[in-house]
Amino acid sequence: MKLRRLTKRNHQNSTNNDPCAADLQATLGDQRVHTDSAARHLASTDASIFTGGAAGIVCYPSTTEQVQAIMAVAIKHDRAVLPRGAGSGLSGGAAPLGNPIVVSTTRMNRVLEVDLEDRLAWVQPGVINLDLSKQTSPFGFHFAPDPSSQQVCTIGGNVANNSGGPHCLAYGVTSSHILALEVVLSSGEIVELGGLDSEPTGYDLRGAFVGSEGMFGITTKIAVRLTPNPESVKTLMLSFDTVTDAAATVSAVIASGLVPAAIEMLDRNCVAAVESFVHAGFPTDAAAVLIIEVDGLSAGVSADATKVAEVAQTHGATVRVAANEDERALWWKGRKSAFGAIARVAPDYYLHDTVVPRSKLVEVLEAVYEIAQRYDLTMLNVFHAGDGNLHPLMAYNSRQAGANERVAAASREILELSLAVGGVLSGEHGIGVEKRDFMTDQFTSADLAQQALLRTAFDPFCRLNPGKVLPAAHSCADIATLSAAHADGVWG
Amino acid sequence: MKISGSKPDAPAVAGVLGLDQTDLYSCVACGLCLPHCPTYRVTGADTHSPRGRIALMQVLDEGKTSLTTEIVEAFDTCIQCRGCETACPGDVPFGALMEASKEVIETTDRQTPWWLKTALRTITYPRLLRFGSSAVALAQRLRLLPPAFRGIPQRMPINRQQLQSSGDDVWLFTGCVMDAWQRNTHFATQQVIEATGISVRLSGDGAPCCGALHTHAGLGRQARKLANRVVSALPGDNPVLVNSAGCGAAMKSYGTLLNTAEARAFSARVLDIHEWLAERLNSLKPSNIAEHRQPPIKKRVAVQDPCHLRHVQGTHGAVREVLQPFVSELVDLDDDGMCCGAGGAFSALQPQLAAEVRNLKIAAINRANADLVVSANPGCAMYLAAGGVDVCHPMELIAQALNDG
Repeated sequence: MKLRRLTKRNHQNSTNNDPCAADLQATLGDQRVHTDSAARHLASTDASIFTGGAAGIVCYPSTTEQVQAIMAVAIKHDRAVLPRGAGSGLSGGAAPLGNPIVVSTTRMNRVLEVDLEDRLAWVQPGVINLDLSKQTSPFGFHFAPDPSSQQVCTIGGNVANNSGGPHCLAYGVTSSHILALEVVLSSGEIVELGGLDSEPTGYDLRGAFVGSEGMFGITTKIAVRLTPNPESVKTLMLSFDTVTDAAATVSAVIASGLVPAAIEMLDRNCVAAVESFVHAGFPTDAAAVLIIEVDGLSAGVSADATKVAEVAQTHGATVRVAANEDERALWWKGRKSAFGAIARVAPDYYLHDTVVPRSKLVEVLEAVYEIAQRYDLTMLNVFHAGDGNLHPLMAYNSRQAGANERVAAASREILELSLAVGGVLSGEHGIGVEKRDFMTDQFTSADLAQQALLRTAFDPFCRLNPGKVLPAAHSCADIATLSAAHADGVWG
Repeated sequence: MKISGSKPDAPAVAGVLGLDQTDLYSCVACGLCLPHCPTYRVTGADTHSPRGRIALMQVLDEGKTSLTTEIVEAFDTCIQCRGCETACPGDVPFGALMEASKEVIETTDRQTPWWLKTALRTITYPRLLRFGSSAVALAQRLRLLPPAFRGIPQRMPINRQQLQSSGDDVWLFTGCVMDAWQRNTHFATQQVIEATGISVRLSGDGAPCCGALHTHAGLGRQARKLANRVVSALPGDNPVLVNSAGCGAAMKSYGTLLNTAEARAFSARVLDIHEWLAERLNSLKPSNIAEHRQPPIKKRVAVQDPCHLRHVQGTHGAVREVLQPFVSELVDLDDDGMCCGAGGAFSALQPQLAAEVRNLKIAAINRANADLVVSANPGCAMYLAAGGVDVCHPMELIAQALNDG
């Protein structure tokens, strides 16, 4: 097989002759509307392993009006619309089903206004999470939700998934930090949800919208709360001989009355992968490592750090405190790049996301390792231990026969286990397509019917991100939208 | 819905592009590279991102598609800065994959424009290059050429002062365009080396060009030929010092490029001038800078890290080390070593995209509020200067400090 030559203009698999594309190009200009196979192929996946359909047309608006114009064209041609941020999601939320118009928000990346007095900022949805904190940090503020992917993920994506992050243990997840939203609804109408007052009157539609996974509307402007940087921070790295000791420490720290800013756990496999990237002195001989961070006023922070260290030592921990800001940053860099460092272990990964009661951590972790062993999968665990948000990470090679099936079976068992001990399906990655068909395991038919009603209240024709979150029986209208689906992506 | 990547019958051997299969599939598509890619930063398009470009290599390699205009464009718009490699927690060798892909595309389908090919041929003939450069410089003075033309700097020198070897302790690699257009930097570099008590032997016309630009353009055959010439023109065991980050990075990878014991031994001798000098600062210090004195350069100087120094050679720290004693205030830019858009011939090939990347860099420079910017790569320096930035090579600053002191 040889590389076939490019003959003049080879627009293979282009959707250029799609009348909808022509209308979009007429409205937005060629530069903002991509119909070629390469652009469509790349917009057909996110950072997850789930695929379904293919992006039909990819649009790059910069303004609210352009998003509104896209929606008008979509209505005219009766096309589905899928908003997409950085494509760093892990539940297939931005992986299209059918062949929708994909609306990329990457060019809506301006911080519109920073109001330090009222501690808020208006941003466009494509602003990268960490960029906002970097910009506001010199003034003593940051955006508190800090997903591990914060250096790439967009704030619009955080809103869609109600994202969490290590420091959400103390500061709360995205929803606690969103004041107001400007949204283009599937009707093309522009509405503002929530408000800058601390207690807006009426139903909390902002609250309903955060976490709606691109199915209620497209966010075009977001008012986020800015959080003052803590006066003082201490970060401890605790290493343990057994995972059980580490898990018991987590419960003991919380039981002691402390609420650390973050409690993160990495197991031996994960530490090995991370350390070979960051060279931060992670103890590769430990069975598990906890990173616990305490912050606040200087005097209290020292006392809290001492207390954490004491509790940990009674569980056999070796304690290290980050010597300076550089070392602290390096530890966090290691923690937050864990899911990419997996590339050192195997070419594919499936990063699971479930939540279990903290008191069940030990037994669940043991069961998770047992499941991995039974399915012959390399398992790494790296997770937000403080709130029981597990991220079992399975490393495998999808090109090995049967590997995908083993991963699918193992992840189902992990989900069933989490639900059985009183946990939930997802902590922060969202439902997307990944957990959609498991929704019936957690919710009754009546629950799901009510969720579907809420969805159709926002989007009566199920035009936005169809086929996600709600299982097929509860999203009938989606099926019509998806009937024209290309089943096998752009190039099959 | 299905889980992607199910390819039980995929061959273990190389596919259409002949890429190393382990390397090609080492990308787990996590996306952590995206914000560190200058072209993705500018356009927000997945086709302009490292993750996207690797995904396109995969479909090409698997034979799922032939080349399309847009796939070629996705590769042509890669500056090959390799900022993504530093950001990648999985150690994906993006640069090697991109170079190999570009070479296959180049041999399948001529992509390099005639004028660049002519230019890349010319730079391997030093006399012709110097003569041509002087002619261009003259034409500039006579206003026969537009002020900004295909990456050629404004007000190039018409005459060049002769460089003289002073011994043979170390080689100084003089290269192609740098020798023709920025010989002052070589003078400064030689002066600084000699101030440490070490004599300099110039590489001269026998080693006309390192071939980095040829590798980037996918002209692998010419690049290997030039690499062989350089290796045989600089025999012995003495260090080969390079004051151009791009050339240094290329010469350090001759071992991989040529895959011979001789080339590997050569690459081991190659040192960036700053990493070499950082080890010998003491031999400059006692005689030239009294410890109690104020640094001679009383300016706020911002360090712009050339990508091939920071992301490829990883020796950007040495630039700060060697400048510290001479400069009163040294500041870093806040953009995590983002590319400036020059990228060898990139700014000439993709002028619009390059200019947008440079705008980001200039914004970072303005935020640093510096009097002067130093850049250890001639391409970056020229491109930033063309954008109105006051920029010089670190060696020029040190030479100036030594002269003033």
